Amino acid sequence: MGEIIVITSGKGGVGKTTTTANIGTGLAAMGHKVALVDTDIGLRNLDVVLGLENRIVYDLVDVTSGNCRLRQALIRDKKLEGLHLLPAAQTKDKTAINPEQMRQLCSDLKKEFDYIIIDCPAGIEQGFRNAIAGAEKAIVVTTPEVSAVRDADRIIGLLEAVELREPKLIINRIRPKMVRQGDMMSIEDIIDILAVDLLGVIPEDEMIVITTNRGESVVLDQNSRSGQAYRNIVRRLTGEEVPVLNFDENEGFFKKLKKMIGIK
Amino acid sequence: MAYLKGGIHQNTLSGSGQGTLSDYEDMVDENTILVQRTLRSGQSIRYGGNVVILGDVNPGAEVTATGNIIVMGALRGVVHAGANGDEKAVIMAFRLQPTQLRIANHITRPPDNEKVDPELPELARIRDGVVTIEAFQTGGERQGKPV
Ligand SMILES: Nc1ncnc2c1ncn2[C@@H]1O[C@H](COP(=O)(O)OP(=O)(O)OP(=O)(O)O)[C@@H](O)[C@H]1O
Ligand SMILES: [Mg+2]
Repeated sequence: MGEIIVITSGKGGVGKTTTTANIGTGLAAMGHKVALVDTDIGLRNLDVVLGLENRIVYDLVDVTSGNCRLRQALIRDKKLEGLHLLPAAQTKDKTAINPEQMRQLCSDLKKEFDYIIIDCPAGIEQGFRNAIAGAEKAIVVTTPEVSAVRDADRIIGLLEAVELREPKLIINRIRPKMVRQGDMMSIEDIIDILAVDLLGVIPEDEMIVITTNRGESVVLDQNSRSGQAYRNIVRRLTGEEVPVLNFDENEGFFKKLKKMIGIK
Repeated sequence: MAYLKGGIHQNTLSGSGQGTLSDYEDMVDENTILVQRTLRSGQSIRYGGNVVILGDVNPGAEVTATGNIIVMGALRGVVHAGANGDEKAVIMAFRLQPTQLRIANHITRPPDNEKVDPELPELARIRDGVVTIEAFQTGGERQGKPV
């Protein structure tokens, strides 16, 4: 029986799809049987990122509405035998499926795969509710920006409300130099607010853009720092203890007298 | 003390400690809820009485109380004490770093471009018509009466 993990964030463009592709690829490279489910109906991306777009015949909505069998819609990866994709529909919208159908789909996938990784759309509306409906665990992706962290906090609250407790956090696109200069939120700042376990930290890395544009995954690239970071995350997911790479910080902290400004 | 955990369900007041209550009537306020979790962005509590939070109030979260608000953690969101106009209401937090503080009909915010990182519990209350913030001390002068 497999494990069902949703990758979510609230804010758009922070790296959910990139993370889904890399975690899935990494797990499959370790020999696990993995199904990736793209729930971003109308804005599907995961197929492109994986370089599988030209193989799509059926999609998620075809499966949930009974147009085809699950097996027919699952696309085998080009290289990794254990990796499969269930693509989103591109010509429909988020209301084309409902949470109950997602739960059914997840329980069907669970029988066949070791890991089911669900790529969630941005936002907190129906697409989000569909994506989390069948999940047993959640990974929240954020970037070191105040707005992304705020949205991550909102999402964690919503996950807790549906008993998806103790989500794990991935901080993406960190730039150690900027953090050192005090121009970017540090890992500590983010953890301080979100108060959840850190699954990993991915640096800003142009190799992500390069590999993504080729339909490859950086996790298989042995030379890049982001690839290493994703490999560490994959190992942690499978239960291994791998230390989180930490960047040294010397923020001179100074205390200031607190004043308040009247607004009214 | 009414009690709140996770969702919003409250028990009725229990009868224990009645003797003590009548002895210190003006200093004791039984109309208080305990919130045993962190309030995250988008979550809010409204209560006719005092609110004690065992956790943080994150940016984007809101607490409104007709009485006092005590945050046993970091207060980073927006809180409104004395929401029905009680100017004696106070706000206390272990780490007072609010987006905005409101007491009765006073609304304040921290100065721009000043990162506040208090190391001690602090108390906000109205003094001479302005919201002031001071280190919270126990034992000394009484820190604002409950409603
Ligand atoms: N660590 C990184 N370094 C550099 N570029 C990155 C990094 N992570 C993601 N990107 C780039 O950022 C863009 C957005 O990433 P991605 O599509 O994974 O985000 P998303 O959260 O799935 O977005 P959406 O909310 O639209 O679904 C992509 O172009 C991706 O290549
Ligand atoms: Mg995406």
